[in-house]
Amino acid sequence: MTPKKVLRKEKEEPRIGVYVCHCGLNIGGVVDCAQVAEFAASLPGVVLSKHNLYTCSEPGQELIKVDIRESRLNRVVVASCTPRLHEPTFRAACQEAGLNPYLFEMANIREHCSWVHLHDKEEATEKAKDLVRMAVARSRLLAAQETFTVPVTRKALVIGGGVAGIQAALDLADSGYKVYLVEKEPSIGGRMAQIDKTFPTMDCSICILAPKMSEAGRHPNIELLTLSEIETVEGYVGNFTVQVRRKARYVTPSCTACGDCAKVCPQVAPDEFNAGLSMRRAIYMSFAQAVPSTYQIDMDLCLNKHGIVACDKCFQACQRQCIEYSQKDLILTLDVGTIIVATGVDVYDPTPLTEFGYRKFPNVITSLEFERLINAGGPSGGNLIRPSDQKIPKTVAFLQCIGSRSKRSNIYCSNICCMNTIKDVLLIKEHWPETKIMVFYIDIRAFGKGFEDLFQRARREGVSFIRGIPGEIIEDPTTHNLTLIGEDTLLSQLYRYDVDMAILSVGIEPRKDSPVIQRLLNLSCASDGFFLEAHPKLRPVDTPTGGIFLAGCAEGPKDIKDSVTQACASASRANILMSQGQVTVEAITAVVDETLCQGCGMCVKVCPYSAIRQDPETQIVQVTQASCAGCGTCVAECPFSALSQRHFTDQQIFAQIDAITEEAPETKAVAFCCNWCSYAGADFAGVSRMQYPAPIRIIRTMCSGRISGEFMEYAFRRGAAAVLVSGCHIGDCHYINANHQTEKRVKRLWKKMERLGLDRNRLQLAWISAAEGNLFAKKMKEMDEIIAGVSPEEIEKTKKSLVPKKKGKEESTE
Amino acid sequence: MIKSIWELFNKEDLFECYQCARCTGSCPAAMAMNSYGPREILLRCLNLGQEAVIGDERVWYCTTCNVCEDRCPQEINIPELLTAIFNLAAQRGNLPEKIKFGVDMIAKTGRSLIVNDKVLKERQKLSLPALDPLNIDEIEGILKKTGLNEIIELS
Repeated sequence: MTPKKVLRKEKEEPRIGVYVCHCGLNIGGVVDCAQVAEFAASLPGVVLSKHNLYTCSEPGQELIKVDIRESRLNRVVVASCTPRLHEPTFRAACQEAGLNPYLFEMANIREHCSWVHLHDKEEATEKAKDLVRMAVARSRLLAAQETFTVPVTRKALVIGGGVAGIQAALDLADSGYKVYLVEKEPSIGGRMAQIDKTFPTMDCSICILAPKMSEAGRHPNIELLTLSEIETVEGYVGNFTVQVRRKARYVTPSCTACGDCAKVCPQVAPDEFNAGLSMRRAIYMSFAQAVPSTYQIDMDLCLNKHGIVACDKCFQACQRQCIEYSQKDLILTLDVGTIIVATGVDVYDPTPLTEFGYRKFPNVITSLEFERLINAGGPSGGNLIRPSDQKIPKTVAFLQCIGSRSKRSNIYCSNICCMNTIKDVLLIKEHWPETKIMVFYIDIRAFGKGFEDLFQRARREGVSFIRGIPGEIIEDPTTHNLTLIGEDTLLSQLYRYDVDMAILSVGIEPRKDSPVIQRLLNLSCASDGFFLEAHPKLRPVDTPTGGIFLAGCAEGPKDIKDSVTQACASASRANILMSQGQVTVEAITAVVDETLCQGCGMCVKVCPYSAIRQDPETQIVQVTQASCAGCGTCVAECPFSALSQRHFTDQQIFAQIDAITEEAPETKAVAFCCNWCSYAGADFAGVSRMQYPAPIRIIRTMCSGRISGEFMEYAFRRGAAAVLVSGCHIGDCHYINANHQTEKRVKRLWKKMERLGLDRNRLQLAWISAAEGNLFAKKMKEMDEIIAGVSPEEIEKTKKSLVPKKKGKEESTE
Repeated sequence: MIKSIWELFNKEDLFECYQCARCTGSCPAAMAMNSYGPREILLRCLNLGQEAVIGDERVWYCTTCNVCEDRCPQEINIPELLTAIFNLAAQRGNLPEKIKFGVDMIAKTGRSLIVNDKVLKERQKLSLPALDPLNIDEIEGILKKTGLNEIIELS
C-alpha cells in the first residue's frame, strides 16, 4: 500500500464552534460553564461558543449539526467528558453534518477537572478554561483525514475450554464461523467439570456440562485443540496470525478409552482433576466424560521420558495400537479475525494462612477438595469422608472468605463462595441429615436470582450461621479432631467448637499463567490481576485492543450463569465484526515526507510493528499503512522531522503546550499521557472522585512513545514549572514496547539537565495503568509539591540553558 | 500532651475493619479474660468515640503481643491503637492499680518484679548470679520525659 499524504484542504480560516457541557451538575456543579463559554468566545478562530445542559443528548448533537450548516463551522470543540467515552458520538454528529470527523476536538473538563476538584470551584473553572484553550489551539491545526478499511478474517480463536469458552465457541460455530478452541489441559470442561452440583438449582454440574462438551467436540465448525498453548500472536483487529503449540499426546485419536493401558501402567502421581485426593497413572484420562475421549501419556512421569523405550506395557495392552511414544509437538499457524479470551481462574491456596493448619491437619480441606469428595465420580465415590480416618464426619464447619476480602491475600470478594457453601451444606444435609453444620461468616452475600431462597432453605435445615471467623484452628494429634477458637460477634462471646472436619471456603484468583496471555495479546490487567474490559458498564466484554473479547472468570470472579452470559455476549460482539467482514482503521498512522527523509533509519529501529521499510537504494523510508498501529514512536525519533503522525502532529502538540503556558506557566505542570494507560488512569481517578491539586494540564497522545525530548524541552522553555511523562508500565505497552523509547528519551533529558546544572526532579516519569487512579492522584500531589518548590530563578535559568539544538524547528505556532 | 488518640493513630485505618473478629479469636488476653476483645474495642472507638474506651480498664489486658495485627485481613495495626489508648488513659490518670504498681517497681528498682532475700536464695541454689541493684538514673530520665512520674505518685 502506498503511503497516504496528509490531506490538506486549501487553507481556509478556522471557524470554530465551542460547546461547554454542564453534564447536569457533574460539571456545572463545580465549573462555571457560562464563564468558560464566554472565555472560549474570546479565543482566536472561535466564531460561536455555547453552553448547554447535556451536549451528548439528541438536542445537543442536533445543535452542533445545525451550527455546522448555518454558521459554516469547520472545527468543533466540545468541552465535556473524556474523549474515551463520547468522542465517537460527536465525531458521528460532525460527519452527519458534512464535517470530517477528524476536525472535531474534545476538552476533558469532567474526569480531569470537575470530578477531581470538587471543592475548589474557582481553580476548577480556571483549569477548564485552560483545557478549552488547549483544545481550541489544537483544533485550529487539525486536518481532515480519510480512514481506510481492512478485511476481517471470518474465523475465530477461543482461548480456554471451560464453560465460557465452550459456550462462546458453540455460539460462533452455530453462526457459521470456523472456530479454533484452544485448551491447555487434556480435556475441555474446565472448573465446572470438577464441581458436583451448581447453585441455586442444585443441578448436577457435569450432567449439564457434558452435552455441551460433546457438542463442541463434534461440531463441524469447531476445531478442538487440547493440550495446546498459544505461542505467538501477531497482527491487528480482523487479521491475527496465531501460533499454537499442540503438545504430543502420545495416543492417537483412534483410542476408544477402554482403559486397558492404565491398568498395566506402573507409574502413579496425584490426580490433578481430583485435587490431589486420588492417584492416576502416567497414561490416563482426566475424567470419565472427557472430550476428546482419548487417553494421554504424562511424559514427565512415564518411564520412557528420555526417548528410550524402557517400558512398553501400555503399548502391549492396547489392542487398537493407539500408542506412539515418538509423537512430537506440532506448531500450528492459525489466521483468525477475532479472539475470545476465556482463560478462567485458579483456586486460592490457603497454605500461607498457617493459623488454619491447611496441609498440616488432614481434616482441614478446601471447598474444591470438598466438591471432589461429595462427587459420585470422585475418589470416595461421593462419600464425604475425613482424610485422616475415612469416617463420615458428624460435625462440619465451613469458614468463609478464605483468601478473599483481605489485604493479605486477594482484596476482592470472590463472588461465588457464599452460595457455594450454602449449596454444600444442603448437599451434606441431603445425604447425612443428622450432621451438625456450622458456617462461620462475616457477611453472607446472596444477591442473585434464587440465591436468598437457597440461603433460607439452609437456615430451615438447622445449619448454624455464626458471625465471626475463627482466629485459629487447633488439632487433637491423636483423634485429628479440630477445635475452632474465635468470637461470635453477635453475642460478643468467645467460642470453642469441636468439629470433625473444617472446610475452608476458598476464593478464586487470576490464573498464574495469565501474564503470558496478557503479554501475547497486549491486554490490560486491573490491580487485582483480572483482565480489564474496555468500559466497565458499556463495553463489558470488549478489551481495549480491537477484535479481542473477554468471557468468564478471566475478567473477574463470577458464577456459571454469568460466565455463560458473558460468553454469549463476547461471541455476539465477535460475530458483529466478522459478519461485517471489514473494519475501519483510525486515520492516525505515520506518514513520511520523502523530501525531508535523510535515510538514517532510526525510525525503522524503533517501530514495534516493523511497519517501516527502507528503500535499499535511496535509503528513504516508507510506512506500510495497514501495519502501522499509530503509536507515533517513529515520529518522535526522527531527527529531521520527516515523519509525522496524522491527527497527532508536532505542530498540534506544540500548540497545546503554548496554550498551557500562555498564562502563569510557573504555576503549572505539563503532563503527557498515553491514551491507553495513564490517560485512562486519570479518567479512572476522575470517575472515582479522587481529589488532587489542580495545576496539572494533560496532553493526550496515543502512546508515550510519541513524546519526543523536544516536547519536554519546549515545555520547560515556555516556563512550565514541571513536566510529567506518563505511560503504560514497562511490559504492558499497547504498542508492544514503544514505551522503552519514552524511558530512553526521559533519561537522556535528565542527563542533559544534570549537565546544565538544572533540577532534574522537575521532569518526572511515571508508569500508571488504566486501573491505577489512586496512583495517578498520588502522582498529582507529588507534582504539586514539585511545582511549589521551583524558584523563578530556576525557571529563568532553564529557559536560557535549554536552547533548541537545531534552527528551523517549529519554535512557536503563534 | 495529647488530646485525642487520633493524634497517635490514623482513624481512617479503622474504617477498613469489617468486624470479622479474627483478632479476638486469636487474642491470648481474650482467652484469659473473656470480657476483653480487640474487635469490640475497635468498634467502640469507631462508633462511640474514644471516651467509650479511655476509662475502660479492660483495655489494659492487652499485652501488645501483635498476633491480632498478624492475622488481621485488613492489616490494621491494632496494638498501635491500644498503645494510643494507653497513652491518653495514662495521661488522664486512668491507670489500674496493678499497672501503677509495676511502674512504681521499675522506677524504684529498675525491675518489674520484687527482688528479696527469698528470690536471691533461690537463685543461689540454681547457681545463678546475684542481682545487684541497678542504676535507675536513665529510668528516672524516661519517667520525667514522658511525664509518667507526675501521673503516678511514686512512692
